Amino acid sequence: MNKKSRQRCKSLNLHLNKLFISLICTATLLILSTASVSAATPIKGTITDEKTGTALTGVGVLVEGTTIGTTTDNDGHFTINVPSENSVLVISYIGYTKQKIKVGRQTNLKIVLSEDSRSLDEVIVVGYGTQKKSVVTASISRVTSEDLNRVAPVRIDDALKGITSGVTVTTASGQPGAGSQIRIRGIGTINNSDPLYIVDGMPIDGGIDYLNPRDIQSVEVLKDAASGAIYGARAANGVVLVTTKSGKSEKMRVSYDYSYGVQNAWKQRSVLNGTQYAIMMNEASIAAGKGAMYSDPYSFGTGTNWQNEVLNSNAPKEQHQLSISGGNDKISYYISGGYYSQDGIVGGNFNRSNYKRYTLRSNTDYVLLDTKERNFLNKLVFTQNISFANIKSTGISTNSEYGSPLGSALVMTPLMDVYADTDAEIKNVNNILGNASVKIPVSDYRNKKLLNMAGDSFNEITNPIGQLSIPGSIGSSNKFVANFSAELTLIDNLKLKSSFGNDIAFWENNGYNIPYYLGKSSYNERSYVYSSMNRSWVWQLENTLSYDKKIDKHSFSVVLGQSAKKTTGRYLWGQRYLMISEDASKANIDFTTGIASKGEQLVSGSAYSPATMASYFGRISYNFDERYMLQATVRRDGSSNFGTNNKWATFPSVSLGWNITNESFINDRKPEWLTNTKLRVSWGKNGNSTMSAFRYVALTSTGNNYAFGAGENTIINNGTKPNGIANPDLKWEESEQTDLGLDFALFANALTFTVDYYVKNTNGMLMEMPINSYVGDAKPWGNVGTMENKGLEFETTYRFKTGNWNFRVGANASFLQNKTINLGNSTGFANYDSYASVGTISRAQNGICFPFFYGYKTAGIFQNAAEVNAYKNANGDLIQPKAQAGDVKFVDTNNDGVINDDDRTKIGKGMPDWTYGFNFSASYKNFDMNMVFQGTIGNDIYDATRRVDLQYVNLPAYMWGRWTGEGTSNTTPRFTWTDDNKNWQSSDLYVKDGSYLRLKNIQIGYTFPHNLTRKALISSLRLYVAAENLLTFTKYEGFDPEIGTSGGTSIGIDRGCYPQARTYTFGLNLNF
Amino acid sequence: MIKLTIISCIALSALCLNSCTNDYLTVNSASSLLADGSYYNSKTHLTEALVASYDPLKWFDYFYSYESLPLVADLMSEDVMAGGGGETDCLYLHKISNFSALPTSVCNQTWSICYSGINRSNIVLQYINNAADMTEAEKAEYTAEATVMRAWYYTTLWKYWGNIPYFEKNLTYPYISPQIGHDAVYDKIAASLESSINANVLPMKSTAGNEGHVTQAMAEMLYADVVMYQKDATRYPTALKYMKDIIGSTKYDLVSDYASLWESTGEWCKESIFEINYTAKNGGRAWDAPIATGGSVYPKFIGINGLSGSPEFNGGWGFEPVCASAYKMFDSNDKRRDASILNFAAYSATNGATYSPRYEDTGYFMRKYLPRLDGNSGCTGSGDMNYNNNVRLYRYSETLLNAAELLLATGGSNTEAQGYLDKVRIRAGLASVTVSVDNILNERHKEFVGEGKRYWDLVRSGKAATILVAGSTTTRSANWTESKKYLPIPQGEIDAAQGTLTQNNY
Repeated sequence: MNKKSRQRCKSLNLHLNKLFISLICTATLLILSTASVSAATPIKGTITDEKTGTALTGVGVLVEGTTIGTTTDNDGHFTINVPSENSVLVISYIGYTKQKIKVGRQTNLKIVLSEDSRSLDEVIVVGYGTQKKSVVTASISRVTSEDLNRVAPVRIDDALKGITSGVTVTTASGQPGAGSQIRIRGIGTINNSDPLYIVDGMPIDGGIDYLNPRDIQSVEVLKDAASGAIYGARAANGVVLVTTKSGKSEKMRVSYDYSYGVQNAWKQRSVLNGTQYAIMMNEASIAAGKGAMYSDPYSFGTGTNWQNEVLNSNAPKEQHQLSISGGNDKISYYISGGYYSQDGIVGGNFNRSNYKRYTLRSNTDYVLLDTKERNFLNKLVFTQNISFANIKSTGISTNSEYGSPLGSALVMTPLMDVYADTDAEIKNVNNILGNASVKIPVSDYRNKKLLNMAGDSFNEITNPIGQLSIPGSIGSSNKFVANFSAELTLIDNLKLKSSFGNDIAFWENNGYNIPYYLGKSSYNERSYVYSSMNRSWVWQLENTLSYDKKIDKHSFSVVLGQSAKKTTGRYLWGQRYLMISEDASKANIDFTTGIASKGEQLVSGSAYSPATMASYFGRISYNFDERYMLQATVRRDGSSNFGTNNKWATFPSVSLGWNITNESFINDRKPEWLTNTKLRVSWGKNGNSTMSAFRYVALTSTGNNYAFGAGENTIINNGTKPNGIANPDLKWEESEQTDLGLDFALFANALTFTVDYYVKNTNGMLMEMPINSYVGDAKPWGNVGTMENKGLEFETTYRFKTGNWNFRVGANASFLQNKTINLGNSTGFANYDSYASVGTISRAQNGICFPFFYGYKTAGIFQNAAEVNAYKNANGDLIQPKAQAGDVKFVDTNNDGVINDDDRTKIGKGMPDWTYGFNFSASYKNFDMNMVFQGTIGNDIYDATRRVDLQYVNLPAYMWGRWTGEGTSNTTPRFTWTDDNKNWQSSDLYVKDGSYLRLKNIQIGYTFPHNLTRKALISSLRLYVAAENLLTFTKYEGFDPEIGTSGGTSIGIDRGCYPQARTYTFGLNLNF
Repeated sequence: MIKLTIISCIALSALCLNSCTNDYLTVNSASSLLADGSYYNSKTHLTEALVASYDPLKWFDYFYSYESLPLVADLMSEDVMAGGGGETDCLYLHKISNFSALPTSVCNQTWSICYSGINRSNIVLQYINNAADMTEAEKAEYTAEATVMRAWYYTTLWKYWGNIPYFEKNLTYPYISPQIGHDAVYDKIAASLESSINANVLPMKSTAGNEGHVTQAMAEMLYADVVMYQKDATRYPTALKYMKDIIGSTKYDLVSDYASLWESTGEWCKESIFEINYTAKNGGRAWDAPIATGGSVYPKFIGINGLSGSPEFNGGWGFEPVCASAYKMFDSNDKRRDASILNFAAYSATNGATYSPRYEDTGYFMRKYLPRLDGNSGCTGSGDMNYNNNVRLYRYSETLLNAAELLLATGGSNTEAQGYLDKVRIRAGLASVTVSVDNILNERHKEFVGEGKRYWDLVRSGKAATILVAGSTTTRSANWTESKKYLPIPQGEIDAAQGTLTQNNY
């Protein structure tokens, strides 16, 4: 038996999990040690982990050149007999750097092992299995828990920022809990371009923020089609594989993490102060022939700084995490609980922008059977990953020029005080209320003081403190994700794994409203309470057969599998008017008196239509001597979202790799420093099926009603029609991608470098078919558009050590070029965003990147009438006849002699050419430091924060530098209310350089010496201070260059975005 | 233990392989049924289909653009202007009013709304024989009703655009219907109306509770409307016969008080033949649900801006100012004048009401459709969007004037024609004038001011080119020419048609 097990150990050596190998090796060493007999000196020792200081169990200790060996016990201790003082101990432990120690005269050794994360034997997670990094042929980026610790992210999507190439993370806003938009290799489609998230094998829809990043062991981003193909129909936008932590076979380890931070806006936007504002208003008013508005502008001083009023200073952010892990050869476990809370820097102090999250996780592996009595059905491992998250959040309206608190703070007149506390102000409030349909003013939530009102001339713009003081809604969610799997070794290396995953989510939104009047389009007449409840259940059943075999120099790995998934859900919404009293604590629907027959009780609800998916997949990986690698994958998916004509689709991929340095003819001649060179090439086809169900048929649609009858006898009759025109031929979007990659490792893997080039084409983008409206109903969806993304990606890491110093430098950069090949409609363009009265500001168009900023090009300012008169077309007519000195000179881009809509063109884009990041870590003795930088190059920001359609709003500071006479400005036109020249129509005057470089995170830590902390039973204690967004280098004048997205297809439009906070954090990591 | 695991693994796999079939992938909607013959197979469901075919009628006033039928037609006459906040406020209205509509700035929702109605009417006709529980008589009635509704929608398209795609069965891939010329469209409309009317299955007048449904009288009025607009003398006798059917039925008569017609109590009065039905009670229209069933936003749209001190009207947004000439064409003793048009100076003198003038203000307002105080009470949606003012499409006074005109045109009894004209004038408090085509047209102008009839009358009588000239309203700078008869087809439709739609030479 011993012999057999030893042989098996050898053949297994290459593969699978570290734990299993270490167990076998331990056994082997034990056998070896008992076999040896020697009469030498007994030496004792303890082996601990460099980072955590915890004892390591099962570490192999071998006297070099002999068969004398042992392993450490549960407390990390070992005893070994060494033949002489010259003996050298070889300390080896899977996942740690091998050490050789000369015994000398020492009798009690203290050995510290450091984790070896640069090893090319590193195993990375691929779909339905793992693979040695050295034989990977696809383009996969990896983020480890170590990387995550450097940035301490709140959400996993934030964690990917700046750490890995090929991934563009744009944050919609700095509002606590706000999600980021992740684009893997660009915007692949005009539809949903979100990647597929797979957490421990379970696909997660509807938000990934239930995951506590501290529970994550690694994140693998499958970027090319070849790696994604195993997820077929859902992989077109890339796949993010998340693996959560599991216990190791070691002594119980208890970790506690705590951090507390304070957040502040890192900058304010420069706007006019009271005096400047009054001067500008006078200037415009006099020019309009209405005389000066203010007799003494200088009497106003600086006026109200609305940004100061709105921004919440020192908003707290707090985090606790307790985890317990450990195990033995039968069971290993990881249990954790986390708490996170964050108040927003806008509205957090009004309870309007707050986030709280509780998370629980229990990951356990049970070795139910592990016998050496036979070579078939000899091992069974059962794994469960169970997590729960509870999230409560409140949020304010963000990134809107139509009266979001921050957007309003930018344009509210500085001449108005926050509070109405003088007789004149109270009179003004009463005057405004006099014409209002609701005569209830708003008071400050915090101190109940009556707030001032700006009046009708400000339209949607109202006192931002008022906006924060009215009640908001509270969103909350509970999510359980539980996966159970069992892996049975059938024979040899043939394994059957069955898993059953569940994602059960409950989410709700509750709130109330009271009668109030803030402005002519911001008021509420009657009090009401509303509540919506949703629940969903996703289950997935998967069975995979995997087989690994190495025959001589040929290694095979085959995975065959089947998957079935179903999503169901239900929602209910109700609203009832007339609260018994305006008591927030009783804001429940039955605390109202509304009567149904008066339309004061509203309800809706339904089951979600179920969605099912069935799949079969297979993958074969082969390598010869780790020199030539081949991998082929095919997945066949069936989806209930498609009709019988196209229910099933097949997604193939193939990839090849060549480890050049493993060739003997190279290996012999290559320079010493060149450790490894690998060439990869892959091709594959992935799908995108994220669309609503039943687009392929017409279903009944009720509510197409009409009233018959006269006067009091009028009755609304129910009308039903098809919900649209069916397209039974509807099918998946397909994305086809080719990737070429090169990996280098130099200086014994100290320096690694990876470069990838790819071309990704999305064909048959799902969109409304460009047919005539005269069909008379909602147009069918069809597979019509085409999009192309091309890019280059670089990643490099360098580690080195000098004396007590350890350094690690990592850098990554991605270049992306996107093009809409065919929008599928007859015009070849589609307008996207619009802004106040300016109209369309972004569009998509065939042959141009998706989307782009759209407007006029400008050529400076007409300095005098002569310049206006000199701007003529071929016929001698004035190109801008309505212009006068001080107005903007627009470029006649199509050279037709007039400036009109047809001259609008691409004036910028929100998507960067380059996104990059670099991180730097250093440690010296007990001190450590980490920095993460990130940045973009080549993106623009459309500054849509100014309300050009309103006369009396405040202005950005650049308006102070307006044209006031010849030579005063060639960039900012004269300030006028009668803008005949349309100076502020959409043009490049709004488009600003959005490139930035940001020190996203810096952390400095100190770990107390083990001998100090040991007395308190603490195995390690680390204290740290950190700062987020400490430094930002950008030319952009707005709140934040990280504008991100304000909608699915909208990128880089700043309407007064909620900026990311600058946060200073203190924290500790404690291990027992 | 092992056995158990193996068995469960095999069981799981088997279960899965079994379930991974197309059955498993075929799911049903949680709250809808397939909208095909399997649904439209009973009277209840065909009634729902029929109701849905009326639904688009009420969208003209607002479906993301304001294209109320009387408003758009009258903008092209000499009676009203677009008004509102300025030239660019609802630009398409100003453009249409000045005969300078563009393919990109025209009432393009009207195009879509009419085709929605056509699509829905076709569904009734497609499935009517599928309804097992309906009698042949019921089927015939539903068929006639849906056919007339479809003809009504086509008539609107035909009057606006003339040359349009025409189909009587809903389109399937590649969803293209050939465009046919205006004469061919006319023939199809007239023929479908004749068959529906001659089937004689519709009631002459709706029974209580059914007001709003197509009636024999409505179909006959529509027929006369179409035939007279086409100046198709061959069909004049039939049109005249239809008018006499209505008159002879004695189901309709003029009300004595013209002003009462425009109050909510005047809706579906004995004079009313067809109205677009709006209801404030439980009215659910809202900005995010513009086509929900309820009231109308048209009254608010043309309401007097910043109105205060009015004992009967709510304020509004100041669109559709009425030209002074429209007020002044009435004799001062014509009871219709102040019932139709509100002369603010005179109004203010009696009650001290004030308002803030908007663009193209004249001081005259279209009183017929002004928002009444409490005209939107009981609504659940937006108050502004739920006024209960029905849009009057056909009134009995038009039956009389049609009959008079058709009598003259067919060489019928002058006396009879004179009698019909007199009847309308007497109700207005006026003395008789000699019946003539011109006098009838003049009478129609006054009788129907603000009801969207004048422009079509000018076109069909050949007077448009002489009357609708620059200066015919305060701000009109262009002349009507024959090419203005048909509006430009919305650009989106031209683009989507990929060469199968020819633009009108507007």
